[in-house]
Amino acid sequence: MQRHDVVVVGAGLAGQRAALAAVAAGLDVAIVTKLHPLRSHSGAAQGGINAAVGKEDSVDTHIYDTVKGSDYLGDQDAIEFFCREAGPTVVEMEHFGTIFSRGDDGSLARRPFGGAGFPRTIYAADRTGLALLQALYERLGTEAFTLYEEWDLTSLIVRDGRVQGIVAFDRRHGDFAAIAARSVVIATGPAGRIYGRTTNAHSCTGDGIAAAYDAGAALKDMEFVQFHPTALLESSILITEGARGEGGILKNASGERFMARYAPHVFDLASRDVVSRAIWTEVKEGRGFPGDFVHLELMHLGREKIESRLQEICDFCRSFAGIDPVTEPIPVMPAQHYMMGGVSTNIRGETTIPGLFSAGEAACVSIHGANRLGGNSLLETLVFGKQAGESAAAYTAKAPAASVTADDLDRETGRIRAMSDRKDGEAPAKLRLEMQHTMDELVGIYRVPAELVEALRQIRALKARYRSVRVEDTSKRYNLNLTDALETGHMLELAEVIVAGAIARTESRGAHTRVDFPKRDDGHWMRHTMATKTADGPGLSYAPVAYTRWEPKERVY
Amino acid sequence: MPEATVTANFDVYRYDPATDAAPRYQRYTLQLAPHTPVLTGLLRIRDELDPTLTLRYSCRSAICGSCAMLVNSKSRLACQTPVGPEIEQHGRIVIDPMRNLPVLRDLVVEMTTFWSKYSRIEPHLIDDPAHPMPVGRETTMSPAQVERFKETPRCIACGACYSACPAVEADAEFPGPMALAKLYRFVVDPRDGARRERLVKIQTEGLWLCLRCHLCTEACPKDVQPSQRIRDLKEMAVAVQGGTEPGSRHAIGFKDNIRSTGTLNEMKLVRQTSGLLGMVAQAPQGIKLSRKKPEILHAPKKIEGQEELEKLYELLDDAPPKEEP
Repeated sequence: MQRHDVVVVGAGLAGQRAALAAVAAGLDVAIVTKLHPLRSHSGAAQGGINAAVGKEDSVDTHIYDTVKGSDYLGDQDAIEFFCREAGPTVVEMEHFGTIFSRGDDGSLARRPFGGAGFPRTIYAADRTGLALLQALYERLGTEAFTLYEEWDLTSLIVRDGRVQGIVAFDRRHGDFAAIAARSVVIATGPAGRIYGRTTNAHSCTGDGIAAAYDAGAALKDMEFVQFHPTALLESSILITEGARGEGGILKNASGERFMARYAPHVFDLASRDVVSRAIWTEVKEGRGFPGDFVHLELMHLGREKIESRLQEICDFCRSFAGIDPVTEPIPVMPAQHYMMGGVSTNIRGETTIPGLFSAGEAACVSIHGANRLGGNSLLETLVFGKQAGESAAAYTAKAPAASVTADDLDRETGRIRAMSDRKDGEAPAKLRLEMQHTMDELVGIYRVPAELVEALRQIRALKARYRSVRVEDTSKRYNLNLTDALETGHMLELAEVIVAGAIARTESRGAHTRVDFPKRDDGHWMRHTMATKTADGPGLSYAPVAYTRWEPKERVY
Repeated sequence: MPEATVTANFDVYRYDPATDAAPRYQRYTLQLAPHTPVLTGLLRIRDELDPTLTLRYSCRSAICGSCAMLVNSKSRLACQTPVGPEIEQHGRIVIDPMRNLPVLRDLVVEMTTFWSKYSRIEPHLIDDPAHPMPVGRETTMSPAQVERFKETPRCIACGACYSACPAVEADAEFPGPMALAKLYRFVVDPRDGARRERLVKIQTEGLWLCLRCHLCTEACPKDVQPSQRIRDLKEMAVAVQGGTEPGSRHAIGFKDNIRSTGTLNEMKLVRQTSGLLGMVAQAPQGIKLSRKKPEILHAPKKIEGQEELEKLYELLDDAPPKEEP
């Protein structure tokens, strides 16, 4: 039986930063990841990382923008901490070797981003996530830790009121293992694949969030799902907000720069929820192009700027849409992009289960509240990854030895082997495709109560069918059919939490827009949704928003 | 916008070493729009026809590096390769796992060797005690210094170059294009304190095993141009250390030969590359060769127009040195 002090699940930026912090405390650390660390979805982040380091900018403005962007659902104490850490975090990553783009004076180049009062998004062309991921991976590689590469998390082991370890299986050999750990950090990223139309990688299936939920941890604000305004039509591949930061503009079918009507001050650089609703409205009211999309125009920026600062975007458009953004507009529509919600943590990355920590998109502190600003998610992974790693290390130093039993392992293997042993039952792919269809059609940008209720009915029916899911592939080696079954189960659990939270929240705030309650309702709803698992599905309760200096105001961009 | 579909016949390599006696190809047929990426086709096969088909994939947008494989014998990212042109050119889509790495199952290969060659080049900044990092702020780096990284920061470690590389196939010691492009990225990094040590070390650790075939550059889905960066590393290595290896001595001797006469003196080149002892060791091949090509025994005369050549070399000598930042 394997045993470590700290097990970090997930090897993107948050997981690696947590591992680095725990290693620095002199502990025996393991990372369990279903992808090689360099394949993590952090690498797909394009636009940049926010830090108020410019002379004209200030940390206070970054805090204010983030609070306003969150539609006053972000915890202001956490946001203050977060924004103060931004400068040192970016400098640390630069010293680790990140190759950032530079201004003429040799300092870090900055670009404007949506919802931000100043150009404060530091970037590496349009592959900032990749640049950070490489540097952190290479820095972490100088330290000693154990890597469980291409291992799938199946569940957490919680006993005596605290975490004791995890159960995971090794894809390459098909063997299950219980790994004992005094603390566990969940950094498995989002569950964007609950939706079909998503910018997220196929691997974004919320495994860690679902395992934490299953183990009794509270999830926070899961109904807040961000739709990125500009995803390539059909494939939903992300076109960075940096494209608009560099001067790209949105136009409808009559050539109108429609954002002027929705955000008279900042036009295309309003926050994402605002721009996504605007695009959706344009299309639904018949002002989109045939086939339902709008145009993102970059042509006026000129070839040199487009090809140097938006190099990957150029490649994406050329490879995936057969479009050259230097000479043609890009057809875009909003697509699911980010989950503001996740495993509920405090500022130290602690969840509601002792010994269980979480960071990154899997977690919800909450600094993003009801809507995340572009450039804040890369920063979150690093700031709170470090927090979670340090907290896990401090906890571990005092925690008793973890105990896992043969029973822990047998229970999981029994449950999972049953999927392979049954001779009939449904394929996980079928259930996943139906779930994605339900979420795409019924739980989108504008939420209609009857549609949400129908979505909940459909998700619950899928959960019932999932009880007889069948893994057809009998091979022990690299059995992706089994992975698919586990992931689908995780996503169905989380889809139910999203829909239940959306039904209950009778207001519109940030990314959650109820057609029947179009206004924000601070009196009733300036509070976090907390969801815990019960026999009848998610049990919802509410927790106050931490509030320091910023009075809620109406959001205008 | 509904688009006409084409019949896409995929012939996919299937092999589970645990249960199969030998690899086989399995035919799957789908109707797909021509711009559909190969990966999308393979995932539809998984979802609709055969959940046992095994491959690595994640981002589907050419940034995670998971889905490198052979598409009609070329190392490509499946997500970045549309089916239409493949069908037009080859009539079908033959899918194989990457070359130069053992198959775990179907299209999934064991990449341990690839990763360990990457770590062997020490891919992290090494402190320069003479120039410590500034405290509390970023290192200043001019746009020109950023420019020197060329396209190497775009590398997604997909392994397509490694799969396409005949030097890897011929010699397991060759680090491969990705590791060398990564080494270049650290050698030109103004923050790194081990530039000279890195260049000296790689001279004896495989740098000169590159065959200069440029297949890596052709295969790279991100235009990293590993072969050009390997060439740069060779130039920089010779500039800091001179010819210490048969490979570098061969390159220097080659240039020296051409400059002095405009043609190769093969006997001299062998001596320059391998030394006198090496020449003796290679004598049997030399004697055999001289029977077929007796002219190699005589020192060649200057070619006509050698003076022009000398002028070109002088121009090159006057050009600013490549390697200084």
